[in-house]
Amino acid sequence: MVWGAWICLLSPLAAACLITLGGQRLSRRGAGYLATAACFVAFGGAVASFIGLLGRDGSQREILSTAWTWITGGSYQSGLSILIDPLSVFMMLIVSGVGALIVWYSVGYMDGDTEERRYFAYMSLFVFSMLLLVQGGNLLLLLAGWGMVGLSSYLLIGFWHERPSAIAAAKKAFVMNAIGDATMALAFFLLIEKANSLDFGILGGQYSSTVANLVALGLLGGAVAKSAQIPLHTWLPDAMEGPTPVSALIHAATMVTAGVYLIVRTHAIFEQAPKIADLAAGLGALTLLLAGLIALVQVDIKRVIAYSTMSQIGYMFLGAGIGSYPNAMFHLMTHAFFKALLFMAAGIVIHALINEQDIRKMGGLRQLSPKTYWGFLIGSLALVGIFPFAGFFSKDSILAAAMAKGTYGYILWAAGLAGTFLTGLYTFRLLFLVFWGEPSAFVREHFHALGRDVIAVSLAVPVGVLAVLSIVGGWIQFSPWWHPVTTWLQTVAEPTVTPESWQEWLSIALSLLLGLSGIGVAWLIYGARRLAVPRLPFAQRTLEHKFYFDEAYDALFYTPAVSLANLLRRGVEQPLIADSGRDLGDDTRDLGGLVARAQTGLLRTYALAIASSVAVLAIVFVVVK
Amino acid sequence: MLVASAGNVLVWAVWLVAAFACLGSGIAVVSFSNPFYSALALIGNLGSLAVLYLLLSAEFVAAAQVLVYAGAVMVMFLFVIAYIGPRSESPWMGGPSWQAVGAALAAGALFIEIVVVIGLKASGHLSHSEHVGAAFGSPAFVGRLFLTDHLLAFELTSIVLLVAAIGGVILGAHSRRNPDEVPSL
Amino acid sequence: MIALLGPEASWYLGVAAFLFATGALGVLLRRNPLIVLLSLEIMLNGGNLALIGFARNLGDGGGQIFALAVMAVAASEVVVGLGLIVALNRKRVTLDVDRLNTLRG
Repeated sequence: MVWGAWICLLSPLAAACLITLGGQRLSRRGAGYLATAACFVAFGGAVASFIGLLGRDGSQREILSTAWTWITGGSYQSGLSILIDPLSVFMMLIVSGVGALIVWYSVGYMDGDTEERRYFAYMSLFVFSMLLLVQGGNLLLLLAGWGMVGLSSYLLIGFWHERPSAIAAAKKAFVMNAIGDATMALAFFLLIEKANSLDFGILGGQYSSTVANLVALGLLGGAVAKSAQIPLHTWLPDAMEGPTPVSALIHAATMVTAGVYLIVRTHAIFEQAPKIADLAAGLGALTLLLAGLIALVQVDIKRVIAYSTMSQIGYMFLGAGIGSYPNAMFHLMTHAFFKALLFMAAGIVIHALINEQDIRKMGGLRQLSPKTYWGFLIGSLALVGIFPFAGFFSKDSILAAAMAKGTYGYILWAAGLAGTFLTGLYTFRLLFLVFWGEPSAFVREHFHALGRDVIAVSLAVPVGVLAVLSIVGGWIQFSPWWHPVTTWLQTVAEPTVTPESWQEWLSIALSLLLGLSGIGVAWLIYGARRLAVPRLPFAQRTLEHKFYFDEAYDALFYTPAVSLANLLRRGVEQPLIADSGRDLGDDTRDLGGLVARAQTGLLRTYALAIASSVAVLAIVFVVVK
Repeated sequence: MLVASAGNVLVWAVWLVAAFACLGSGIAVVSFSNPFYSALALIGNLGSLAVLYLLLSAEFVAAAQVLVYAGAVMVMFLFVIAYIGPRSESPWMGGPSWQAVGAALAAGALFIEIVVVIGLKASGHLSHSEHVGAAFGSPAFVGRLFLTDHLLAFELTSIVLLVAAIGGVILGAHSRRNPDEVPSL
Repeated sequence: MIALLGPEASWYLGVAAFLFATGALGVLLRRNPLIVLLSLEIMLNGGNLALIGFARNLGDGGGQIFALAVMAVAASEVVVGLGLIVALNRKRVTLDVDRLNTLRG
């Protein structure tokens, strides 16, 4: 079982190294298959660890396997260790499983690209980094994985580096993530100072409320950045510049959920800092509303799904913030399934329409590619949370838990319900616009269906698998009646709120109702075209500008930074550093010129020099004796 | 210091004349624009110096001064001056502007320093001179010293003279090469 | 044994110092190399006078020996210097110290 976990961690790394070292010797598709195989091997290792843990008793399910002591500094010590416990195995299964499917899908999606090998090396690196993050045995390794997923994200968003928009988006993502990394690092410094260690166990220690609040705040900062919650969310829509599988894997299923994982893993500290936990839940609620609203006006197919991701992670933050950890993790799992499904189906659409992503040009694809339509439909229904699809089971339990939290909880609950309506609305707006109606002129002209070759298989099968998982994946837990997920995760993260039965049923009923009404309104406006889109120019403009966050950040941070940089360049770098080299040469030459003036060539001046020196030396000798 | 006696007064008088002649001719050497007159002034200087040497019981040195210096070296000088021809220049002209000031300062500093140093270091000795024998400064005296205590100085001096003679011959030799091939100065 | 009549040795030294300074002034200020050489002779003579003065003051004959050596060296130096001047003259170079500045840097 321990071997299984190490294999899970290291096999994608081995793939990345082999692809990098192989270079041209490896064919492009070979690189793809190598990466896919490595991810499936990793999944196998994760399953082995899972089975191993199952065989053990509940209290025995925490194994720390250390490879060697990595860092020693004074009394601080940190080992290269991985932790095998229910939470990490849960994440390992999701990451490696969904990851393997998506990498397989990319073999078909990226076929023909000239830099496929680089792509698969980066993807393998990403899977390794994410696994390191979830398997890390102490906070230091978690931070290492954290940073590396940020790096992989940057590399993959900017994969098509000929596009300036891609480069800009990659930089934006990296910089915003770096803000989160900084706050996390500060939190870690505080922990080292107080507890002299970064093992997970120290989080349960007693800290003064200031310390606990600061640490929790730092961790929350990192989580907010990585999971694209308000206020550090503006990078996620831009990150859609990357290839669609990248969006599926990194920006839907795995990396952006790392923030939720972090909060659940470090829940002991958050329980000591209840205000911060409430803040986390509040941010989640705010994000889910705002993202849902913005998604209503987006015209890029991938951006709609991106805002949907942001919104759903808001749900997870809500759940984790109020203390309903197993539900948040459960929603993470189902979300991975249906969001990856949606992205991959969208990817097939984009591929079929020669990389067109504007939904206003689409329409009527239902007849032209029915299987894709079914996949998308299943994903959408799962997303909105309609019975019996996956989202239904996971989302409602979070809302129910919110009810159990008191007055603040009711506010969150209301936000969550409003979010459900919005989810139905924007998701099905997308579906109706893309798939229903008559094929548009653009579609008629450019659509080309998939053939029956290897590429098509690699594109279709993962979509199919995820569609099945989106249907049945939720059946693993139904809060009122059976909850194996909660039991599984209980040893690691005990939920602090338990909703009562009536709260559960009320939430289920209301959310189902609101979801269906959202779908209904979407059908009225976009499907059957009975109603027109309401004319609210102010709201429309605000939503289209994404609540002016980008403009605000530009004015607050970017413009001052640029002017400061220019100032420094003109005032400091140019004269001090660049010119100093040239000035040094000039000054030396001038000094030499000055000295050369002593070489008059005149005998008399030389004689004068001798006489003066003698005079001076005589004084010196007399004084010194 | 001032011992009043007839011999003393005479010596003082001679000393005064010789000293002033010495100083005057020294200034004259430096001041004349015609090198011929400067050389003549130097001869006068050498003569007055010889007188001073006599007063200091250095008879042999005085004689050598007149014979060698005034008689041989100055004659050589005059030969060369005559060979080169008449030349006259404004003595204090030219050179960098600070040359004159610097020169005056340096020379003045040297003078003051000599006086000060000697005053500091040797004032104890200078107040009273040794009594010397009658043979002090005689040729026999000098010769004996040259061949006993200061033999090395004697030999080295002769070598220096030899080298100078050779150098003089080389410098004075007519060049055999075509004057055009010689790089101009 | 004879005492020193007349001025004490310090007076002779004063004259010597003056001669030395005068000679230095001449070396530094004159442009004709012949005059420079003559001034150099003045300086050497100043030194000689000092040596002789001290020899008498201390009763040591070594000062006179030294003065004779100085005289010999001065003579040698004059020979070489005059040889140079004659050679310069033969090359039709202006006998002006300020013009002989090819060492200018």
